[in-house]
Amino acid sequence: MAFTLRSVKVPPNSASLEEARSRVFDFFKAACRSIPAIMDIYNLDDVVTKSQLRSTIASEIRKNSHVTNPKVIDLLLFKGMEELGNIVEHAKQRHHIIGQYVLGRQGLVQDLDTKDEGMSDFLKNFYKSNYF
Amino acid sequence: MAAVRGALLKHLRVNATALPRNPNPINNGIFALTFNAICRGFSDEVKGSFLDKSEVTDRVISVVKNFQKVDPSKVAPDAHFQNDLGLDSLDTVEVVMALEEEFGFEIPDNEADKISTINLAVEFIASHPQAK
Repeated sequence: MAFTLRSVKVPPNSASLEEARSRVFDFFKAACRSIPAIMDIYNLDDVVTKSQLRSTIASEIRKNSHVTNPKVIDLLLFKGMEELGNIVEHAKQRHHIIGQYVLGRQGLVQDLDTKDEGMSDFLKNFYKSNYF
Repeated sequence: MAAVRGALLKHLRVNATALPRNPNPINNGIFALTFNAICRGFSDEVKGSFLDKSEVTDRVISVVKNFQKVDPSKVAPDAHFQNDLGLDSLDTVEVVMALEEEFGFEIPDNEADKISTINLAVEFIASHPQAK
């Protein structure tokens, strides 16, 4: 597993929740600082703005904000760094970035089609998972 | 043979005394011009320029107002990000990153943690020569 630009930051053992928290902020800052490069690599200038990408990254981090175990947070950070490294070294393609981080923030990208517009909420939840 | 050579070299050796170093009267004040700055006076990046405080205030306030989670009517120069504007710590980091992008220079981590109100942000940026 080669991280060309991002280094896997430290032994993956945060001593406390505070340390894990500061690591999360460091990761967020690293991601935000690489946004201009990402916009340049994938030509996203006419699709999304930098502040939208920042908000997207923040909301992704916020999705896991309920976690209290520092080891779980370390693992999530590791996966985040891996994803960021992949994006920055152009291992992904434009449609990946657009589908995962630009469109479909309310749900799955396939739900944006017009054919599903009139579908009932019950059916939408049913298609998504067993438990709702 | 080596002894003759050694004796000859010892005879020819010249004593070198270290010149007393002229202590450069460099103050650490922002307005002291260093030798380098005078020499490279033609390059703008060395001298740096400080932005006007009111201009900085306007730009900071516009960046904060454009932030989606912020209510524009509550934005005032003495607004505290977490207490007055209701942002959490991740949002504060995001605002600081947006300011980094707006002014085009990197804010080091230890300084970024201290920025918790708009006034502190304005003071920090206005005192930084790399702000654009």
